Amino acid sequence: MKYPEIDKYAELDSLIHRFDPRAKIITFTILIFSFVFIEDIRIAFVSLLFSSFILLVSRIPFGFIFDRMKPGLIFVMPFLIVMPFALDGNVLYSYNGISISYDGLYYGSLVVIRAATSIMLTLIMLGTTKMDTTMKSLHSLKVPSPFVQTLMFSYRYIFVFIDEFFSMWTSMKAKGFKVKANKHSLSIIGNLVGMILVRSYERAERVYHSMASKGYTGESRTIVKFKMQTADYGLAAILIGTVLIFIIYGMSLS
Amino acid sequence: MKTAISITDLNYSYPDGTKALDNVNIEIEQGEKIVIMGPNGAGKTTLFLHLNGVIRAEQDNVKIFGNNIGSMKTEDRIREVGVVFAEPDDQLFMSTVYDDIAFGPLNMGLSEEEVDRRVKKALATVGLEGFEDKVPHHMSFGQKKKAALAAVLSMEPRVLVLDEPTANLDPKSRADLIRVINDLNKNHGITTVIAMHDINALSELADRVYVLNRSIVAEGPTRDIFSDHVLVKENNLDAPDIFKFFKIMKCFGGDCDQTPMSIDESVKELTQAIEALEGKMSLHIHESTHEMVNDVISSYRH
Ligand SMILES: Nc1ncnc2c1ncn2[C@@H]1O[C@H](COP(=O)(O)OP(=O)(O)O)[C@@H](O)[C@H]1O
Ligand SMILES: [Mg+2]
Repeated sequence: MKYPEIDKYAELDSLIHRFDPRAKIITFTILIFSFVFIEDIRIAFVSLLFSSFILLVSRIPFGFIFDRMKPGLIFVMPFLIVMPFALDGNVLYSYNGISISYDGLYYGSLVVIRAATSIMLTLIMLGTTKMDTTMKSLHSLKVPSPFVQTLMFSYRYIFVFIDEFFSMWTSMKAKGFKVKANKHSLSIIGNLVGMILVRSYERAERVYHSMASKGYTGESRTIVKFKMQTADYGLAAILIGTVLIFIIYGMSLS
Repeated sequence: MKTAISITDLNYSYPDGTKALDNVNIEIEQGEKIVIMGPNGAGKTTLFLHLNGVIRAEQDNVKIFGNNIGSMKTEDRIREVGVVFAEPDDQLFMSTVYDDIAFGPLNMGLSEEEVDRRVKKALATVGLEGFEDKVPHHMSFGQKKKAALAAVLSMEPRVLVLDEPTANLDPKSRADLIRVINDLNKNHGITTVIAMHDINALSELADRVYVLNRSIVAEGPTRDIFSDHVLVKENNLDAPDIFKFFKIMKCFGGDCDQTPMSIDESVKELTQAIEALEGKMSLHIHESTHEMVNDVISSYRH
């Protein structure tokens, strides 16, 4: 079974793995937000290289990260395809009244590079920490509890959900069901989705019962033991410093 | 002896109108081992939801050690009754086994050292030492089942309620779990209330049986319940094979004092019976043997 296990490589040992999880979240968030606002495509590209360098340091296999970047990249790809046609500006190439603009290509590429950078950084951040530690860090960083709990339960039950989906899917296939592009096939898939929703609802109710019987009153209480060390401050300073240099250099260009 | 659980005239209907419990009366002493049997949809799970106040009864129908469960404070409630539900995935909702087992104790407001001590102890009790950092989706069903039990044991409740604890387990995990439950009852004085269909585990897990089918249909010592084959049949139950086997042996003249309910009991009963016959028991076929055997078999056949 292929689970979306994002923290599969969280047990490796690297500089990034050893980074205090709270400092890591703050630093990476700053990095991501700074890179997202870079306007110059050359600096955006350098920031992508810089993120790849962090990935290299983290020792997580490139293929693993790239696999998980794909959905996000597919989502922003249309920008690169549409913007060159949609945006006015210096015309690069024109045919039968349809023109490709330099500005469109520039901004389209910028969007894709920025997206790649931020997705990569997010994956490195999540991939170098065990998921429960990430959740606890968010909790201890005073991120609102309903938000953290929602994240936590989503991550916990996505695996159960996948198992449930595949067991139903397998039993459908065992009864000779094949996906075809017709009404019958669609209605069966619709039925399957409905079943999954009903089951999730019922499961949510049972989970709530079991939480209530353990004294849950809406507050999440977990034991958190983190300690920031000099090395953590150092690494945070180096990473944020590098970003600052990129930004200042970028401003001097424009 | 103190009364651990006292349920009087409990009625419950789900919001959609399904009547799940009809005038249920149950009285359980402290330290007893009780099994509740009944067909699917009989209301066993619904009854258990009442036992720790997840579903609140309108009146004071459910009392735990004399106190009305509905009006107890959350911390006190979970100290008295712990319910282990059937599906372990529903009960391991945190990211790691440690956090799941610490969940109840943290809600009781215990100190971190005490929580830690309880987590370690609960893991040791169910035989899952070293599983602290495991995530549920990397565990086998049997391990999840044990972890779910540990997550309730860490609250150290005086009454332990288990919904189908042995369902879908392999024989080794099943034996492990039965041993743990028995040890808790025998050596720690914990009252256990178990819903199950596992008739072969009955003699080990029950001093007394309630048959529930929306209302309490019968109550009594295990052997009495299974001797009443009409009752057994009407409630989709079955008697243990060994019990039926000794009933059949009786038709061949092999009579024991009491019909054994388990392998262990059968050794004891047989020894006694054979000793009473000066070391030799003879089986034989007489005129009505076949008729009697057929009667026994058909009385328990569904
Ligand atoms: N959430 C619910 N809503 C409506 N009816 C329910 C719900 N849960 C259970 N029931 C019904 O209540 C009855 C008792 O169910 P349950 O307590 O789960 O039985 P058991 O555990 O003995 O199999 C059944 O008829 C069942 O269909
Ligand atoms: Mg049930």
